[in-house]
Amino acid sequence: MSDLNTRRSDVASPVSPRGEPLLARLFAFRAPLRQRSRVAISIGSCFFVLAAWQAAASSGLMGPIFLPSPIVVFSTLWRMTLAGQILGNAAISLWRILAAFALSAVMAIPIGMLMASYKPVNAALEPIIDFVRYLPTPALVPLSIIWFGVGEETKIFLLWLGTFFQLVLLVVDDMNRVPQEYVETATTLGASQRAILTDIAWPAMLPSLVDNLRITLGWCWTYLIIAEIVAADSGLGFVIWTARRYMQTDQVMAGVMAIGLIGLASDQALRFLHRKLFSYLH
Amino acid sequence: MNDMTRRYLSFEGVTKSFNDLPVVAPTFDLEIGRGEFVVFLGPSGCGKTTLMRMVGGLETPTGGTIRLDGVPLGKPDKWRGMVFQSYSSFPWLTVEGNIAFGMLYRSELGKAEKLERTQHYMQLVGLSDFAKAYPSRISGGMRQRVAIARTLAAGSEVLLMDEPFGALDAQRREQLQVEMRRIQNADAKTIVFVTHDVEEAVFLADRVIVFSPRPARVTADIDIGAKLGPERTLALRDSAEFFKIKTDLLHLVRASMNAEV
Repeated sequence: MSDLNTRRSDVASPVSPRGEPLLARLFAFRAPLRQRSRVAISIGSCFFVLAAWQAAASSGLMGPIFLPSPIVVFSTLWRMTLAGQILGNAAISLWRILAAFALSAVMAIPIGMLMASYKPVNAALEPIIDFVRYLPTPALVPLSIIWFGVGEETKIFLLWLGTFFQLVLLVVDDMNRVPQEYVETATTLGASQRAILTDIAWPAMLPSLVDNLRITLGWCWTYLIIAEIVAADSGLGFVIWTARRYMQTDQVMAGVMAIGLIGLASDQALRFLHRKLFSYLH
Repeated sequence: MNDMTRRYLSFEGVTKSFNDLPVVAPTFDLEIGRGEFVVFLGPSGCGKTTLMRMVGGLETPTGGTIRLDGVPLGKPDKWRGMVFQSYSSFPWLTVEGNIAFGMLYRSELGKAEKLERTQHYMQLVGLSDFAKAYPSRISGGMRQRVAIARTLAAGSEVLLMDEPFGALDAQRREQLQVEMRRIQNADAKTIVFVTHDVEEAVFLADRVIVFSPRPARVTADIDIGAKLGPERTLALRDSAEFFKIKTDLLHLVRASMNAEV
């Protein structure tokens, strides 16, 4: 009986008593993790990957063309930055992404809100959106070139294509999740249909909308490379593709690193912005 | 002050069905006086909430009429305000902002008057010290007070409350029931309050309407006000009289659960 009680109390509290082995404490199911430990583990795992990469590269089993070491890649990135190959191209890529992303958002937000508000709009648009959503963007590159040539329009079109149709459905979902209670409360206070959209639905869905915009922005970088590989004489995708042609693997990887770092930075910035803007939620 | 004799809110031969299944049976008639605190008591899903929502204009009767002061009711308007059990206050607005929201669509009120009413009702529900706080920072009970103050500030004459204290712990619930009665005595509105809690019904109501399981039928109509008067304090709960009324009502509710329609 007493044995049973002890076991029960163990299950009830995820924080194991002191004196238990470290691993058992860390891996108790859903056990909380201190901030300091969390950061240490995250940094540690990054260094582990870099160390494994470095070890693999310097083992001599693979040549530098197949796998340059991380030290070479980062010094190449630094050298390319100093030579002016990175910042200018990154700025152009960033501009393309922001232009296409803004276009996607400006179209997807009102259309998504209308689809969620009015069933006939939803009935008319949903099958089309669901169809286009599954078309592989790379497969539409030739068509895009026929329609828009090889200029900026093609790149923006491809980025838009990759994000707009996904984003619309996310907006619909955000709006559907606005509690009916908010809508009915406002209705009984005299809100018109339009007022419900602007005064209730919009502020209620905004936090999750901003979160979805952040995720969609990440996808933009994926499609950017497709757009810039096909037809471009500038941008990070162009830098990577050109380096590949000359088998400069270190430069290819430096370009990839640059995109990863920009993505990470913009994601963290948007997370920070989210916490600031929607501090009332926490 | 309360004019119980007058037909203020009336259900006249109301019928309601969802997918041909009746919610009320066979037709529903009920009269509520101005300033009455009426509690609809019945088991979950009996149709009492649907009846209340029809008053609010959020559901349309299949047949019959609901009148307020002689006028047939249609779409929702500011005269009938709802207070829900959850999601009752808007998380993106402060306490003050939430209460002021009640008057957002009342253009006939001046800015100064809106400000004054906001302060007045914020004080009435005891939230003046939390004016700038967001709902996530205050307790569930306070959030319900915000919703009540907002509805009062809007100038609603009829308050429709759908188990508004259902999600609160027992202590907060008790506290808020005392508050609710105090607010009602200070600023008399016609209140339709839906609950399945017998004790809550006795403590709050001037009048309790007991419903059968779906389709809803009135099985008892009890004048609590005549027995307990308007003043309701925590001490009342311990009185023998309160206990007796509660026990009698509990037996009525049990009997109505088995009542054949």
